[in-house]
Amino acid sequence: MTTRPPDSDRDPSGERLRHTEARRWRHRRKLERRLHDGASLRLSAMSLRLGLLTEQGPGELPERVGELQDELHAVLQELRAVANGIYPPLLDEAGLAPALRELADRLGLRLAVVSTDERFGAVLEGASYTALAEYLDPEYRDADDPEPEEEPLVGVDIRREDDALVLAVVGGGHRCAVLIRDQVGPLGGLVTEEPTGQIIVRVPCE
Amino acid sequence: MRVALAEDGVLFREGLLMLLRAAGHEIVGAVGGGDELVALLATEHADVAILDIRMPPEPDGGLTTAERLRVSYPDMGLLFLSHYAESHYLIRILEIGTVGVGYRLKEKVGSVDVLTDTLDRIQAGEVVIEPMLAKRLVERPKGSRKSVVDTLSERETDVLRLMAEGRSNGGIAGLLFVSPKAVEKHIANIFGKLGLHTDASENNRRVLAVLTYLRSQGAEG
Repeated sequence: MTTRPPDSDRDPSGERLRHTEARRWRHRRKLERRLHDGASLRLSAMSLRLGLLTEQGPGELPERVGELQDELHAVLQELRAVANGIYPPLLDEAGLAPALRELADRLGLRLAVVSTDERFGAVLEGASYTALAEYLDPEYRDADDPEPEEEPLVGVDIRREDDALVLAVVGGGHRCAVLIRDQVGPLGGLVTEEPTGQIIVRVPCE
Repeated sequence: MRVALAEDGVLFREGLLMLLRAAGHEIVGAVGGGDELVALLATEHADVAILDIRMPPEPDGGLTTAERLRVSYPDMGLLFLSHYAESHYLIRILEIGTVGVGYRLKEKVGSVDVLTDTLDRIQAGEVVIEPMLAKRLVERPKGSRKSVVDTLSERETDVLRLMAEGRSNGGIAGLLFVSPKAVEKHIANIFGKLGLHTDASENNRRVLAVLTYLRSQGAEG
């Protein structure tokens, strides 16, 4: 059944591990930049505009307040985007399948998710989600990543077998398998690529 | 209007209370969780209950509490507030009720006008959906996914988007500058193309149309 040994077994120099770590830190830096260039900047500007309000006539007040509320909505949208990059709220509240569906919905991706409603804990769900988001979401793309496939069509089957989270991914290809292995490998997960192209992931539950 | 409020964030709860009072509504009680809201409504009547989605009992007490309330008080309107506008929650809300329900972002009910309009429409039995979410559901960011909804004309898509916001036929006619008769015709076409030839009531068919739309755009599409 198994056709390829995990990459980690062929990574004696730890090159793959270094790559994964570097990627993680670049992602953190990107999130910090987004906070700085987005929400922080908007809030600073709002403080100035609030100060200006005292200098303006009361007749302008309703319009100015409306503008400031629109600006606050934009700040919150940016904070939501950053929160999604840290740990998607829906992943915590509803689990892996709803979070992946929401990702597909937001990005307009063709992604089919089959799942029971079982939950697998923050670590396994977080690692699985991140791996697939890294593959699907341009937001996660690194400068040295290859251009994504045009309109990928991906299917994910999520289930529990014995005491493991088992994912079957169709349509992801080798790069998707590598990204999943990077995430679930350190958690004791095994990733195999079938001759059919299907990726089977098995991660022991916490 | 008599309003009950359940929200676990004290700051937001107090702010919303001030705004509700400024809008002239009567607050029958403001509590910090779903179980407290159920206890409150056992003795107090409310026209609309406002529920935070993410509150005790965790993780989504607003939804589980609303399910109980809809059974006990089917005529009471339900307004769900959340920090996130997600189709996952919208589908769950429509499963709880297809009449007199609303789903809005917390920061988008920040004026007397919007708050009152939202509550009035819910009390009138409409489905009020955050316009941003309704818009996102209709206008795909990219992709040319083939679905039944793609067979709709541009005008029919406009109508469906406004239906997804919970607008009445008259409201849609006004916004699109067409006659109510024309809107009815568009809606009949939409129902036809989506295969909704059921005996369901007009309102149920509307919600089914929106749900069909959501599902066709969603993961299984």
